[in-house]
Amino acid sequence: MSAAADPLTAVLDAPTRAELDRALRTTGHELSLVDVNRLTRKLRGLNEATQPLRVGILRTYTTELLRPHWELAALLHGFTLDLYEAPYGSLLPEVQPDSALLRHQPDVVFIFLQWEDLDPRLRGPLPAVPTGQRAELVEAMLEPLRALLTSLRQVAATPIVLTLLPPMQGPALGLHDAMAAESDAEFRTAFRRRLAAWLRDSVPAAYFDDLDELLADVGRRQFFDTRLWYTSRCPFSVAGARAVVERLMTYAVLLKTPRAKCIVLDADNTLWGGIVGEDGPDGIALGPDYPGSAFIAFQRRLLDYQQRGLLLALCSKNNEADVLEVLRQHPHQLLREPHFAALRVNWSPKPANLRELAAELNLGLDTFVFVDDSPHECLAVRQELPQVTVVQRPASLPDMPRCLDHLPTLEVLGLTEEDRQRTELYVQERRRRELRASAGDVDQYLRSLNMRMTIGVNDTRQVARIAQLTQRTNQFNLTTRRYSEADIRQWMTDPDRLVAHFRLADVFGDSGLVGVALVRGVRGPTAEFDSFLLSCRVIGRQAETAFLLALLGLLQQQGVQRVEASYIPTKKNGLVKDFWPQQGFVPADGGPAAPADGGCITPPDGNRFALDLAADLPAATAPITIQWAEENPHGHA
Amino acid sequence: MDMLDALRELIALAFDVPRETVTPHTVQADIPAWDSVGHLNLMLMLEDHFKVRLDVSDMVKLTSVQAILDWLATSGTPTTCESTR
Repeated sequence: MSAAADPLTAVLDAPTRAELDRALRTTGHELSLVDVNRLTRKLRGLNEATQPLRVGILRTYTTELLRPHWELAALLHGFTLDLYEAPYGSLLPEVQPDSALLRHQPDVVFIFLQWEDLDPRLRGPLPAVPTGQRAELVEAMLEPLRALLTSLRQVAATPIVLTLLPPMQGPALGLHDAMAAESDAEFRTAFRRRLAAWLRDSVPAAYFDDLDELLADVGRRQFFDTRLWYTSRCPFSVAGARAVVERLMTYAVLLKTPRAKCIVLDADNTLWGGIVGEDGPDGIALGPDYPGSAFIAFQRRLLDYQQRGLLLALCSKNNEADVLEVLRQHPHQLLREPHFAALRVNWSPKPANLRELAAELNLGLDTFVFVDDSPHECLAVRQELPQVTVVQRPASLPDMPRCLDHLPTLEVLGLTEEDRQRTELYVQERRRRELRASAGDVDQYLRSLNMRMTIGVNDTRQVARIAQLTQRTNQFNLTTRRYSEADIRQWMTDPDRLVAHFRLADVFGDSGLVGVALVRGVRGPTAEFDSFLLSCRVIGRQAETAFLLALLGLLQQQGVQRVEASYIPTKKNGLVKDFWPQQGFVPADGGPAAPADGGCITPPDGNRFALDLAADLPAATAPITIQWAEENPHGHA
Repeated sequence: MDMLDALRELIALAFDVPRETVTPHTVQADIPAWDSVGHLNLMLMLEDHFKVRLDVSDMVKLTSVQAILDWLATSGTPTTCESTR
């Protein structure tokens, strides 16, 4: 390619958005503003189906120059942007009922603030603030944010992303900042941590985005354009603006589309250099020297993704023994057998293996990210399984460790205990399957598991996980009603409602919090199951029967005489269509359903059921020991 | 492509107007989208396309096609990154 050739030729020739996006990643070309405009024009011309994205912006500096970048980033992710920017500096008027921001009905609100907005003392040098006053200053800086965000929360539940413009100059004390007691860096970090903690605890669906992290990535000299700042109060250079928007767009993508759950990796020339079947375990490139060093760095990065709750799976065309020898014996291999939730090492076509992996892990293929060095394998998967995100390993090995960083679906906005343990849970499940295969019959298998169920009621410490389960569970979910953390918190405080959950442990370990029931009308005489769901992880262990029976007992004790329930069919929950009759419920008349929260659908006639609690409950049959969590505030033991 | 053609293309792209409507006589006031924000965008695009660096004092003056052409002819000889230092 000659130096004068347009680096975007291949990108602009792409016939589809997906191919354009891929070509753009492949060039690695840093986009100029001209490029941004050309790509936007091209994507608009493709006229592909998009979903609307409504963005609201509050700011105390000029953000208009971000617009071309918003347009492009939205189109690249399949959105049509509808952007509302509040007038420069207008904050509190925008969070009042019927403000222009609220009338815009944004899917997400981005707030661009400067440190100086939070307290006048931030306009001068930080070392001028006596160290003894710094704790007080941190609290004082939260006050304007409290006023802004609490007001916004009173009128809208819209997700909020808050940013603070990083300082344009280095620390007041220069070199000495690193050693100084009155360090700028330390103060700013302390405030950011305090802000994050306050948001976590007090403002639902509000996120602090740390632009300083982006600044570190881009570099201060590249991030800002001081000409634009001093003339127009726009701080960002073209490269900085693009980086800011790309980062913030991640939130929009995460809020609008399902996150990835599993990274499926090829082995040869993806996890190590060379072909283990030909070069032998000692001959592959994997170690401190290049190119083995780049593969180790990639494996190291994959361990980071695992910490976010993502599963890793292996899909390699090889003799299984060769690959297992590397996983078990190679001195430099970082990803060992227990790091993988599932493995497929055989000579079958990769799309077939991916389907099998999806079935084994009980995940949708649309939650898979597939990484392979072979353009043929990548193409085969793209063609046969278009719902899978395919990433071809970069040709240049040093680019490999960062090759997944651009995928918004690999980011998480929160992390639960279950996320951190997810891989271990799947490895446990693999051992359970092995036991089931060797056990004589199902009853014998279930008894040998020695299951212990702990049921908790209205436990506010579990709000995040409970909301997550209502949002993610598709198969064993009777009504598929989705709830936010704020919704769940509200259910827990309503004396006429109840949020129950259970954890399940057995000989292989603790499966964590895996079942949820939401009940209304618990003060009687008629209660109703609004939601009843089970993580796919524990399907087939009779936990649902044990959980339901325990809850019915609890309701009976509280004086409830009749329990109603419904089944709302979806594409994915056919598994539970007969659940209520199987549990002894009888069809109820198709009368009007109880008012459902969040605009849910009324179940169709014939899918409503009831159980008379005046009669005796059936005896427990599941081989599960039940205990009530100590924190149960209702005191039922 | 000569300088004028390139500039017409750039202005058309920046303000989403037909290329034919941009002439050597076009000034900022002729194009509604060429407002203060649009002007900054155009200046940044000029820098990208012609590989030049504009001072703030240049930016405030380049408010017509002719002014931009004159500036490019005298000050804005395309240079490599090294020689602009």
